[in-house]
Amino acid sequence: MTAVMTESAQSSPQSPRRSTRRLPLALRVLRSPRLARVLFLPAVLIFWLISNKLIADSWGFDSSVLATPIEVWDFMYAEVTGDTVAPANLYQTFGISLRRLGLGFVISMTVGTTLGIGMGLSKAVNAFFHDWVMALLAMPALAWALFLSLILGFGDKGPVWAVVLAGIPFVIVNVREGVRSTPRDLFDMSTAFGVSPLKRIRHVLLPSLFPFLFAAARYALSIGWKGLVIIELFGGQDGAGWTFKFWYDAHRLHGVIGYSMFFVIFALVLENVVLEPISRRVFKWRPSLNQPDIVEEDMDVVKYPALADESLSDRDTIIQEKN
Amino acid sequence: MADIKISNLHKEFGVGDDKVVALENVNLEISGHVFVSIVGPSGCGKSTLLNILSGIETPTSGSLTITQAGAQAAPGYVFQAARLLPWRTVMDNLLFVQADKSSETRARCQKYLDMVQLGDMINIIRTSCQVVCSSASDWRARWRPMLIFMDEPFSHLDAITARSLRRELHSMWAATKKTIVFVTHDVGEAVELSNRILVFAQGGILKDDINVELDFPRDPSDEAVAVAKANVLKKFEELDLLAT
Ligand SMILES: Nc1ncnc2c1ncn2[C@@H]1O[C@H](COP(=O)(O)OP(=O)(O)O)[C@@H](O)[C@H]1O
Ligand SMILES: [Mg+2]
Repeated sequence: MTAVMTESAQSSPQSPRRSTRRLPLALRVLRSPRLARVLFLPAVLIFWLISNKLIADSWGFDSSVLATPIEVWDFMYAEVTGDTVAPANLYQTFGISLRRLGLGFVISMTVGTTLGIGMGLSKAVNAFFHDWVMALLAMPALAWALFLSLILGFGDKGPVWAVVLAGIPFVIVNVREGVRSTPRDLFDMSTAFGVSPLKRIRHVLLPSLFPFLFAAARYALSIGWKGLVIIELFGGQDGAGWTFKFWYDAHRLHGVIGYSMFFVIFALVLENVVLEPISRRVFKWRPSLNQPDIVEEDMDVVKYPALADESLSDRDTIIQEKN
Repeated sequence: MADIKISNLHKEFGVGDDKVVALENVNLEISGHVFVSIVGPSGCGKSTLLNILSGIETPTSGSLTITQAGAQAAPGYVFQAARLLPWRTVMDNLLFVQADKSSETRARCQKYLDMVQLGDMINIIRTSCQVVCSSASDWRARWRPMLIFMDEPFSHLDAITARSLRRELHSMWAATKKTIVFVTHDVGEAVELSNRILVFAQGGILKDDINVELDFPRDPSDEAVAVAKANVLKKFEELDLLAT
């Protein structure tokens, strides 16, 4: 038996993998990443229930203040089916916020791209706007929220401006880098062959700008969304942020948790249903763009703490100041 | 066929301490159905000369005219490093610099892709494109103009591929009435292909203008070709170019 095993181990080029296959079934199942992933959810639920119990026991207050997973589930189910005690249901609420996000996004992309191109092409334009862009980058969304709701009141204007102001510096900086890194040699090549200026812009400049525009759009959306929720929360009468606050004011923890989950779901849908397919199409020609990379760059900005000091780098682009 | 006239051409880069003289007072005439090679050590201004001739760079002073049958010529340029649009297929890269996209143009592009054994790869995207193209693809891509500049087109290739492409290049030049200006640092290559060899030295100085009067085709293993090569190298020694 030993002899046979030794021989098969020697003759097989994949002997390391074979050896794991000889582990007992139970051990193999326990080690599999898939199981670990599946186990995560029940683990969270158990942790949740236990901590609920511990908190209620040790502080001895009314445990109905705490939310159970079932309550959160019921709340989310009711919201999804349009049944709510809040002034507007889930769809109206997200509709209002998405309209603001969309409008702000379009404005910040248009204005930001124009300014970014100007700053990339001209040193003087860059010098003129540079400090303002840096100031915008450094400004916390909360400051905008308070400032804008003070001067613009409770309508749509404040939230839209919050989206614009939060996202626009990232658009400007990205587009500027894109313009600065346009391939000079490809332009020279087209010049030498007498390719028309229009064709040069369309087939050389735009494709080389695309990765930067795309990164800009991602930032404008994700950071704009966060700014939007904050201003709705502090200075709004409706929208997703305001409704979140509504549940908080009503002391309904299940509503607060449920709405947070909706935010997460919204971010995931935006990433996987809208952004990722577009990115996959547009960057089909880029061999280095593999999936793990795409998933990494989701709506999470905390991952890039260096953002404000401009040393941020990501997959699509490098936002860096070259002085 | 095209005619090139260069007089007192001078090119400097940078100012002050950074000033580099890339071409110094070059006077030159190239005309008719000729194959002219430019040889010289690296940094002696060979690429700069082609860039000026093709209109990418402007000279600091001096004048040049490039005419083809009395009109301004539209040269083709094979760059030292491949300049391809990575977001386009090989075929679309070729079509990018063509004035029309007729089936005749496509067929012509296909023909030259086949010649460099890229014919099957029209639809590949960047990865494979770069692997093959960075070495072989650029030069025959743009094969319509009557005046062609080539900047070390075969220097990235292995000896065997380079040899067969040299043969193709020669037969195309012989079959058409094209004027070719060919930069190389390989004296053997220059002797094998050209009627005329221009020798440049560091600082962008045109040192010598050698006529190579040998019948084509020239086989590098042929004695007469070897002797001609040795003679050119001897001139290099006299000009003290090999030391640099
Ligand atoms: N765009 C540029 N800016 C500054 N210097 C340059 C530029 N292009 C070329 N040079 C300089 O001009 C000289 C000639 O360069 P080049 O024509 O590329 O040489 P070669 O092709 O013969 O190797 C070199 O010293 C090079 O550093
Ligand atoms: Mg060169």
